[in-house]
Amino acid sequence: MSQPIIMTRDLTKFYGRTRGIEGLFLEVQAGEVFGFLGPNGAGKTTTIRILMDLIRPSRGRANILGMDSHRYSLEIRQQVGYLPDELALDEHLTGDEFLRYFGHLRNGIDWTYVYGLAERFECDLGRRIGRLSRGNKQKIGIIQAFMHKPELLILDEPTNGLDPLMQLEFYRLVEEAQIDGRTVFLSSHNLPEVERICNRVGIIRDGQLVEVARVADLKRRSLRSLEFRFARPVPEEVFSNLPGVVDVRRDTSILRVKVIGPVDPVIKAAARYPVVDVITLEPNLEEIFLTFYGEGKSNAA
Amino acid sequence: MLRNIFLKSLRDRIWSLLAWSAGIAALVIFIASFYPVVARNLIVVTFLEDLPPGLMAFLGGVLDFASPAGFINVEVFTITLPLVLLIFAISFGAAVIAGEEQRGALDLLLANPVSRTRVLLESFGALVAALALLCLVLWDGLAIGIKLFNIDLPLGNITAGVFSLFLLTVAMGALTLALGAATGNPRLAVGVTTVVAIASYLLNSAAHTVKNMEPFRNLSVFYYYSGAEPLRNGLNWGHAGVLVGLTALFILVGLVSFNRRDIRV
Repeated sequence: MSQPIIMTRDLTKFYGRTRGIEGLFLEVQAGEVFGFLGPNGAGKTTTIRILMDLIRPSRGRANILGMDSHRYSLEIRQQVGYLPDELALDEHLTGDEFLRYFGHLRNGIDWTYVYGLAERFECDLGRRIGRLSRGNKQKIGIIQAFMHKPELLILDEPTNGLDPLMQLEFYRLVEEAQIDGRTVFLSSHNLPEVERICNRVGIIRDGQLVEVARVADLKRRSLRSLEFRFARPVPEEVFSNLPGVVDVRRDTSILRVKVIGPVDPVIKAAARYPVVDVITLEPNLEEIFLTFYGEGKSNAA
Repeated sequence: MLRNIFLKSLRDRIWSLLAWSAGIAALVIFIASFYPVVARNLIVVTFLEDLPPGLMAFLGGVLDFASPAGFINVEVFTITLPLVLLIFAISFGAAVIAGEEQRGALDLLLANPVSRTRVLLESFGALVAALALLCLVLWDGLAIGIKLFNIDLPLGNITAGVFSLFLLTVAMGALTLALGAATGNPRLAVGVTTVVAIASYLLNSAAHTVKNMEPFRNLSVFYYYSGAEPLRNGLNWGHAGVLVGLTALFILVGLVSFNRRDIRV
């Protein structure tokens, strides 16, 4: 296999005595869309800011495009597009002026491509950025990350503030980048989003990488939460012994069941009782963590 | 105006620069208009000369208020214009790096292939250019003022005074910029520089009148600005060199620490 586009070795960052990330070993291959998944505060932004040489690791190192992330930061930044977590743009400039400014700091911008992007995202570049909504500012952030057609895109929570239609447009843009052979590294706290656009996922929690998996494998083990409302209280033992059930909670006549894998046995079991209502819940990330990786891991932060 | 960080930093402040220019020009011409009255009114002059030494020191210890150089020195170069230009220099110095960082804009700028060294030097360049512009306006205002109100002061002396003020404000602006670049904290940068400027001013003024303060005068940046009385004696190259040297030192320290540290979120 050719050399990875991103490679970290024992990457560690402490802020004073607070742990940001610890002992991160990560490899992202050329042409991959890699999702960096974790709850807020897990260390996603810390990792990304080290890759961008905005902050320096306490220990370990990162290589990007085969170069040391600190020593060759300028060469790396020539070929990287970056979207920060919290976007701060020049409010007094128009979108066009802002992109022109950034264009001057780089070379060889294809402006037809840039204006094409603006059109796709229905982004009015003639308006002052200060007068744009949060979603529209995010679009400018996305455009500036893609505008020089970089080898590698490092995007921190890219769909923040985008409405669903624009999220779809963004997913298409990521797909196209991948078709062009470019690599995308994006962070998210949204599992369905990552499942949709990524090939592989790295899961980070409390500053530590707990899992790197193919999205397909992750889906096979996906966790589902079901909530039944019965006409009368139902014994929970009926459910807790079923295959795949990891957790059952009863609150008078309401029963919450967490299942890994097929839900069929649970549905069949419930059908034997008078069901008033049933809700399936998209599992949130924290639930997945609690189920797969237990609670006891965090004590440093 | 958006070709590089230098021009962008100036463009961000274009309205502010115009307003400060207009204000400074109006202020010095207004001040100069009092000269004919003061020159005829010796009572004011004697009153000033009879002030207690402490107050005298605070006013810069100037004795010949009625002479053209004395008048311009007290009214323009002692407190008013240093104050005005220092406020500008300090706020500019704090805004360009630490201010941008505080509002979170530095992350995005530094994602471009521009080194931190370049960001700092271009920002400093913008500070110097802005102060040069305001000093040019000040020089023009004074030149107009002495012509309009028949103040007998050679233009060369005015140039020396304005240039000394330029060097002083560049040095203090550079200190603010460097502190901001080193810490990412604009309030700290403004606070420390303000304290340094005020302490320097008081030390220099006190050393005028209090004899045993004299040896400590050369610890004051203000001493290198006004100690050799450039308005009367022309530019003192040694003192100018000290201000330039300090500026270079501040920028160097700023560069080293800016390149080493973490950018704040």
